[in-house]
Amino acid sequence: MKNNIKNLVVFVLICTVMTLLLATTNFFTAPIIKENQNASANKALLEVMPDGEGFEQIDISTFTLPATVSEVYKATNGQGYVIKLVTTGYGSDMVIMCGVKVDGTVTGAVCLSSNETLSKEKTYGENFALKDAAGVEAVDTIAGATKTTAAYKNAVKDALSSVIILGGGSVDLRSEEEILNDNLSTALPDGEKKFQKVFMVELLEGIDAVYEAENKSGYVFVSGQQFIGVKADGSVVTAGVEDTKLYSDAVEKIKSTTLKDVNFSKYEELKNTIVSVKKTASGNFVIEAKGAGYGIKGGDEYHPASNEYIIVRVAVTKDFKIIDCITVSEAETDGVGDACADESFYGQFVGKTDKNYTEIDAIGGATMTTDGYKQAIERAFNAVKILGGAR
Amino acid sequence: MKQKSSLSVMLNGIIKENPVLVLILGTCPTLATTNTVNGAFGMGIAALAVLVCSNVFISLLRKVIPESMRIPCYIVIIAGFVTIVKMLVQAFMPSLYESLGVYLDLITVNCIILGRAEMFANKNTVVASALDGLGMGIGFTLALTLMSTIREVFGAASFAGNPIPFMENYKIEFLTKAPGGLLVYGLLIALIYVITRGKAPVKTSFSCEGCPHAASCTTVNCQREGAEN
Repeated sequence: MKNNIKNLVVFVLICTVMTLLLATTNFFTAPIIKENQNASANKALLEVMPDGEGFEQIDISTFTLPATVSEVYKATNGQGYVIKLVTTGYGSDMVIMCGVKVDGTVTGAVCLSSNETLSKEKTYGENFALKDAAGVEAVDTIAGATKTTAAYKNAVKDALSSVIILGGGSVDLRSEEEILNDNLSTALPDGEKKFQKVFMVELLEGIDAVYEAENKSGYVFVSGQQFIGVKADGSVVTAGVEDTKLYSDAVEKIKSTTLKDVNFSKYEELKNTIVSVKKTASGNFVIEAKGAGYGIKGGDEYHPASNEYIIVRVAVTKDFKIIDCITVSEAETDGVGDACADESFYGQFVGKTDKNYTEIDAIGGATMTTDGYKQAIERAFNAVKILGGAR
Repeated sequence: MKQKSSLSVMLNGIIKENPVLVLILGTCPTLATTNTVNGAFGMGIAALAVLVCSNVFISLLRKVIPESMRIPCYIVIIAGFVTIVKMLVQAFMPSLYESLGVYLDLITVNCIILGRAEMFANKNTVVASALDGLGMGIGFTLALTLMSTIREVFGAASFAGNPIPFMENYKIEFLTKAPGGLLVYGLLIALIYVITRGKAPVKTSFSCEGCPHAASCTTVNCQREGAEN
């Protein structure tokens, strides 16, 4: 017992002496270590905002900032903010530091960590230096690394939006999809916020697009910037619409449209290029055609070919005008060619004819895929020609 | 006479009982930090500082520390000095602190330090313990620096971070990796064995008999008694 107490006392004494030594060392080294850490953190911040003398992290929990913003540092000399953003590129997270002056000018942007295949993000940030919002918008994405550079560009735009919000302004942070859905829901509240685009097979005068509520309660017609809600029985919901008959008739036309299969097996040249052909009572065609994109013509060690055709569904009038167009299936390169499967690309064909359909803008770095879409459209026009189209 | 004895205590750790190349102690930090000369030299100096301080402190308290409590006491003292060295490195050599990473903390469990505390410092005077720590620390640093020089020069065509242009086309990158480290380590041990044949102490064995704690270990004593009976 006596020995145990002695052991304990000696051990406690040794611990106390070591604690005192540690405390003394810490007293002298702690301020130096903190200074080193601040200098190290400031180095990354100064890289994107060279005029900032010191930085302090601000609490962003009270602001509604874009989801990509993870940390915000304010320059103590009032120059602006440095914003740390985490976005998703081609394969994984990209961490970006972006400096923005209070007047909305980007002072610099660097990628701190990423795992992209082509490493284009390492130097892409240089393009944004000293650009304002319009300048940032004008920066092109890099062909072949569209997904990476588009994510980078969007992150820089988020940084600009954040500075406006931090300065007391307001920015609509909704995505284009959210804005569209909100407009559709406002036009037709009975749709319960769930709508799908109607593939149009008849030309509807003055109407750009039609959305149908998934619960079949009605339709929303898009005409320019206007969204007009019409119930399934044809009654117009949206106030202030003068020509209600136009929309009631349009609903009737959509509901009464029927498609008849067209047998094209006897035409040898259509056999391998066309998947299906249907025809409306008014004589319009709905054709699914194949196009050879990167999946057929391309392929390299990084992006192997899928050996699959692009299949496009296109509604064409008998006088060769495209009413609507949509991608049915594609297996183009993820992050490159598959950008063509977005409506912003194939939607360009709507309204075009067999004379001018080739004039659409190609997607940078996806020339083969773009040509594949054009070939599918060409084959659809060819089918219309063979199957009874007329000018 | 006494002067010669002190010198021999110190030289012992540098050549005859070099902890890395003869006693085969501290293998983990040896392999981990010798891919660069800067990292290896920094690790050697940090271990040297801890060795000297802990040896002096343990020697000072050798008559106070109870026999049954000595290992916990040694660990507290060593861990304390490691933390002090860590704070000093972090404050004054931040780049070295970054490059050593977790291996700086792991000096606490470096068997050279605990081994010298148990084998030397708790039986000898403060001055002799300090010289033993200094000799062992210098031996450790020299071995690490030699090994890292071979690995960095031939593996990365550079020395202490400075490129050696004419070596660029002849570098063997394998040497900077873990298997390359093991190979260089093995070759150096063989070389030292050949050079010091008959002079360096041959380790009793790689079994329990060779352990620094063998003298006080009950397992070893039981085995001895069993053999004698």
